[in-house]
Amino acid sequence: MLVSEKKKQQSPILKILSLITYKKTSRPRSFVLPEQNEGQEGGDNSQNYQAPEGRGNEETQSEGKKRTKTLRKPLSPSQVKSGRRDVNEVKNDIDSNLEMIRQQFNVPQNKDLVIREFILARDKRGFIAYLDGMVDKTVINEHILRPLFDLSTSDLAGDSNSTTLALENIVETNDVKKLKNFKKVFAEILKGNTVLYVDGLDYFLACESIGFEMRSIETPKTEGVVKGSQEGFSENLRTNISLIRRIIKNKDLISEFFEIGEKSSTTCAVVYLQDLINPSILEEVRRRISSIKTDFLVSSGMLEQFIEDSPYSIIPTTLSTERPDRTASHLVEGKAAILMDGAPFAIVVPVTLNEIMHSPEDAALKWQYATSLRVIRFFAFAFAALLPGLYLALTTFHREMIPTDLLIAIAEAKENVPFPTLVEVILMELGFELIREAGIRIPGIIGNTLGIIGALILGEAAVSANIVSPVLIVIVAATGLSNFAIPNYSLAFGVRLLRFYFIIAGCFLGFYGLALALVVFVLMLVNLKSFGIPYLSIVAPRNKKSKDAVVRWPIWMQEERPDYLNTLDSRRQPEISRQWTQEDAPEPSGAGRNKDQGPAQQAPAGRNQNTGKEKESSD
Amino acid sequence: MTKAYRFLSGLLIALFFCLPLNGCYDSIEIDEEVYALAVGIDKGVSNIIRVTVQYPTYKDGGGGSGGGGSESGSGGGGEESGEVNGTVISTVEASSLLEGISMLNLSSNRQISLYHTKMLVFAEDYAREGVVRYVEPLARYREVRESMRVVICKGSAEEFIKKSSDFVGANTAKGMEMGFYQSQNTGYFPDVFFHNFYSSLISPYGQCTAIYAGVNEFKQLDSQEKEKPELHTDVDLEPGQIPRKGGSKSEFFGTAIFDGDKMVGYLLQNETRFYLMAIGKFKWGIFTFEDKRSPGDAYILEITSSKRPETKIRFEEGLPVIDLKISLEAELISNQSRIEYETLDKLTELEIEIEKYFHDGIKGTIEKTQREWNSDIFFFGKKAAAQFRTIQDLEEYNWLKHYQDAEVHVDVDVKVRRSGFLYKTMPIQSTSPDQKGRK
Amino acid sequence: MREGHFGFLEALSLMVIVLINKIFFTSPMTLIEKLGTSAWLGTLISCLASLSFFGLLYLLMKRFNGQDLFQIFETVTGKLVGRGLIFLISLYFLYYTAINAQEFAAILKAYSLPYTPIYLIVLPLLVIAAAMTYVGLEGIARVAYVFVFPIFGGLVLILVLAFPVYDWDYLRPLFGYGLDTTIGIGLLRSSAYSEIIFLAIIINSIHGLKYFRRVGISALLICGLVFSLCCACILAAFQYPSSSEHLSGMFQLSRVIYYSRFFQRIEAIFLFIWVFASVITIAIGFYISLKAYCRAFLIKNHRPLLFSILLLTSAVCFLPRSFPEILQIHVRVIREFSFLLIYLVPILVLLVAVILRRGGTSNDKSL
Repeated sequence: MLVSEKKKQQSPILKILSLITYKKTSRPRSFVLPEQNEGQEGGDNSQNYQAPEGRGNEETQSEGKKRTKTLRKPLSPSQVKSGRRDVNEVKNDIDSNLEMIRQQFNVPQNKDLVIREFILARDKRGFIAYLDGMVDKTVINEHILRPLFDLSTSDLAGDSNSTTLALENIVETNDVKKLKNFKKVFAEILKGNTVLYVDGLDYFLACESIGFEMRSIETPKTEGVVKGSQEGFSENLRTNISLIRRIIKNKDLISEFFEIGEKSSTTCAVVYLQDLINPSILEEVRRRISSIKTDFLVSSGMLEQFIEDSPYSIIPTTLSTERPDRTASHLVEGKAAILMDGAPFAIVVPVTLNEIMHSPEDAALKWQYATSLRVIRFFAFAFAALLPGLYLALTTFHREMIPTDLLIAIAEAKENVPFPTLVEVILMELGFELIREAGIRIPGIIGNTLGIIGALILGEAAVSANIVSPVLIVIVAATGLSNFAIPNYSLAFGVRLLRFYFIIAGCFLGFYGLALALVVFVLMLVNLKSFGIPYLSIVAPRNKKSKDAVVRWPIWMQEERPDYLNTLDSRRQPEISRQWTQEDAPEPSGAGRNKDQGPAQQAPAGRNQNTGKEKESSD
Repeated sequence: MTKAYRFLSGLLIALFFCLPLNGCYDSIEIDEEVYALAVGIDKGVSNIIRVTVQYPTYKDGGGGSGGGGSESGSGGGGEESGEVNGTVISTVEASSLLEGISMLNLSSNRQISLYHTKMLVFAEDYAREGVVRYVEPLARYREVRESMRVVICKGSAEEFIKKSSDFVGANTAKGMEMGFYQSQNTGYFPDVFFHNFYSSLISPYGQCTAIYAGVNEFKQLDSQEKEKPELHTDVDLEPGQIPRKGGSKSEFFGTAIFDGDKMVGYLLQNETRFYLMAIGKFKWGIFTFEDKRSPGDAYILEITSSKRPETKIRFEEGLPVIDLKISLEAELISNQSRIEYETLDKLTELEIEIEKYFHDGIKGTIEKTQREWNSDIFFFGKKAAAQFRTIQDLEEYNWLKHYQDAEVHVDVDVKVRRSGFLYKTMPIQSTSPDQKGRK
Repeated sequence: MREGHFGFLEALSLMVIVLINKIFFTSPMTLIEKLGTSAWLGTLISCLASLSFFGLLYLLMKRFNGQDLFQIFETVTGKLVGRGLIFLISLYFLYYTAINAQEFAAILKAYSLPYTPIYLIVLPLLVIAAAMTYVGLEGIARVAYVFVFPIFGGLVLILVLAFPVYDWDYLRPLFGYGLDTTIGIGLLRSSAYSEIIFLAIIINSIHGLKYFRRVGISALLICGLVFSLCCACILAAFQYPSSSEHLSGMFQLSRVIYYSRFFQRIEAIFLFIWVFASVITIAIGFYISLKAYCRAFLIKNHRPLLFSILLLTSAVCFLPRSFPEILQIHVRVIREFSFLLIYLVPILVLLVAVILRRGGTSNDKSL
């Protein structure tokens, strides 16, 4: 306490002291997924969770009219800032409303906002306002303006209530909202909708007219697959959600909208399957997203950094994917996906290391192939992180391990190299990183080829100039390749940094140092959490054995969703998902049921057949 | 969590900052060391020991890779600098082995490391005076490989190392190891690892052995031709006596026998094979037998051991009785007399003949070790130990001393299983009536 | 104090690693030196003795269901004596940690890092163990569970790869230096399994009595068998005279692995499992010592003490003058005489409880 009070005028000594003395600090509220009852594993545990308040009624109501629902919980950025203008109510005279809009959008400096004034049926003044470029002008012309101008006086006669009805019925756009609050009006304009006001009303009418240029759906850039869908997310949030919705045609698929960014006012959507996701995880996602206060948010990577559990972790704790099918498969496991307008990526939370190491193609391949690919990927992970460190430790500490012939060959090649191995390793690693970074910037075809050619040329030249030894080129190249085999971009980044950490450890204490560094790394891993889920789930803490961890068992064996997610419904499919294996062979006697399951029946399904039968019938 | 990471990273940073201050003590670059491949120990002249070390050079095309081995030795200074076949051999006289090696650092300009030493050579004269003084420090020394081979050579170890260059490849280290592998292919010498050698030195169960070797000066080939050379199937040769020419001058041939740490004798090549059969280390080898039915002709068998030998030891009236049962398999690979040994009855005859040969050989070898040196190199002691309840009993009885009292029964079982590609031996057709194979 | 919970397998791997750690160091050597060819038998006897002790401990824990060992001490012997005992245990495990670290460092220095000063080996080890303690028991257990696979995999690999050098005849004579010696030393060395007491201290993190019993018995059995197997393998490979010379039998075993020109001398790989096991052992020793200290002096948060106890441990670490001193005095105390504290004290407490009729069916947690 004392220390904090005198913070301003404390001497350097006190500062240093404050580093080593104990201070009680406030800890941020950490979220841990509530544990299940120890005894019962899996099964139906929905009674353990109290549905967070507000979840049930709001969403169930809104199923019918989803569009309006999204605006119930807007997170308006101006709530935070504006003390200068507390009158948000829409007035019922046109001049003050017009003035309000002009003032807020800085018309006439701002040339983007178009305000078109008109007089309806010869006596009613009105205007529409929209942002140029954000709207589809044909919609405005054909479906907003034309019906308005076609009005006769008689249509507008009567009191304000009837006018309302009339206006809504006149405008021919598919979505029309009545807005009595200016903040909402501005938000609609900013989104690209058109607002309509007619004198005498106390509300604006927002008509959907969004229509701006955007990229069409293309194949994913970084997560290409051979077998599987070739669709990737684009920048448009609506399109992206529709891509998911096209895969999961389920009325329980819910997308909640949030707006983040005081200046940018970016729309984010949390997408989940309501009947699966653990409510406490959902609540945590909501809590984190809705509490973000920032001014600008443009990429999902930024959002990731705002919501991730441990910013100091070198390994990502969220999964970023540009594939709708991958997102969908995670949603079906009971996770939440966070999409953002303007970002062609979905952030999937919570994830474990295991899932980050999976590739979208895994599920599409036969399980033997998928498993072998996964094993290779895990090896790649280890190689990419450890290989240079191991090489360094081997050559400078444990030379006895290298086969004699190789050792002498290395020594011979190194004879004219003036640098110690550490310098060689770091030089080559930096060179490789340089090529990679430069390869992204260099335009067009050259950029792609530069990576490989550049590495080859640089390596070859370095060897012949006696700057590095040839074995090292092999090591660095293998490391680089392994790094590219890691399926997740962020994880690959993390591993690249880890590599330097292990190089340093290996350089100082050899295998001993490496082993200690590994312990620290694992210690970090086991303490990582992704939205309350331990990051090494399945391994530590050990959960119910997963059929989709390193070994990807056949799809029909994967009966349950990941245990650690504690989903509301943990069962994916009945014990016997391939019902055809249960069917009797066309044999006259019906008694041979048990015998018939022989050759065609796979062992696990056969083992469970009786219980499976019962469960299926009860379902 | 955040705090934990701050703490962790703080610790790590502190760790990493304090480490370089202290330097990396054990970190040595590969090329700052030279790796001794062979270490030889001779009797010194002015001091007690003379150490010879062979290590590869790092010149292009040297010991490691590429280049011709014969070229590198061709330089004029080859003899003086001790440069042979991409390696340097240098010798020093010192008061102890390890000190000698560290003195050699001066001549090599780099640190000599024993991490990759393949072979430890003792001169025979020296070994007969006891080796423990030189083996013991190596057992303590962390650099030394346990898989190093122990060789006793006739004459000087320095000479042996100099002459033992490999002419097949330029890779001396590989040549050396491949040389030791020939133990499995021939059975002419045992493959003795350093850890075996050392633990046998202090073992109460038996005595240690080493590879026996020598230098062949290529003078054994008689130049004058005889009318008709005789068939000698059982020639016993000492190392260095093989009548041959070309290739490496060094040869591993036979087994050196120790009593305690002193070498007391050696087994010749066939005795070594019998010895290996008795201890179950015999892999395969080719044996030539003179055909009694057709003198002057030979049949050749490839012998492999089919089972591990069974040894049983019991005490009868205080004296140990050793029952040794050895099972061998044979393949007939040549039949010069062209007698049809493939028929079942002939085969049995053949087996009995061979069994007798091996029985006599093995029993003779065992009795020789009992009689001449009383050295249990067969480690019968480990079987005898089963007869004792406690180590005190065993040590009190002193098996090594009583080895010579043991009565040995050897039972050899040979099965001729195959006859190569040819299942039958057909007679050779010619005009001469006494053609082989004619019945 | 952050404790957390973990399951059966995590607790088991933690205990197994802690118990098995000493096999990598001088323990087999000492055992073989004292028992000769019956070392494998002796350690089984130790294991059985420890099992029976564990039975008594279980009785104690059952009598005071829901309390950990320290609470029981306080309940049975009163606040003052109880806390004295807890403090004693804290001191012992501080010593235990320091000596284990020192033994580890000495072996590592002898086999792998000869020129690195000893403090540079010990300090990183202790610092990382302290970091693990900082994270808490749950973290240590999770790390243990992750590393139990490489440790056991490596152990099995050594034993299997060295198979060609085994000759089981070297296990004769059967009774070593006599059956009586074997049993005597075997009972004495039951102290080598005394770490099983950890379970009673962390019982509330492992879901109580049921897991306590299961973890304890399986850990003791697994370790007894592995220990015995390792001793037998070392004997079979090196014979008893040679294996009683080797500083670390397992390390020596990994050195003799030889398959071909390129597959030999791979002992450095096993360095990893040495380090993993030691770090975890030292971390848990650290943790227990710290926990006992905090309990004895009613300190709520253990983290501020971490630095001072780290300093203290390193100080104890550098007390011994030479390696023989570590072996002949300190390691001996821990592996042979620690049962006086670790086994006898709980038994005495149990006796007192029975005599004074404390505990039993009542679940009174208040002091």
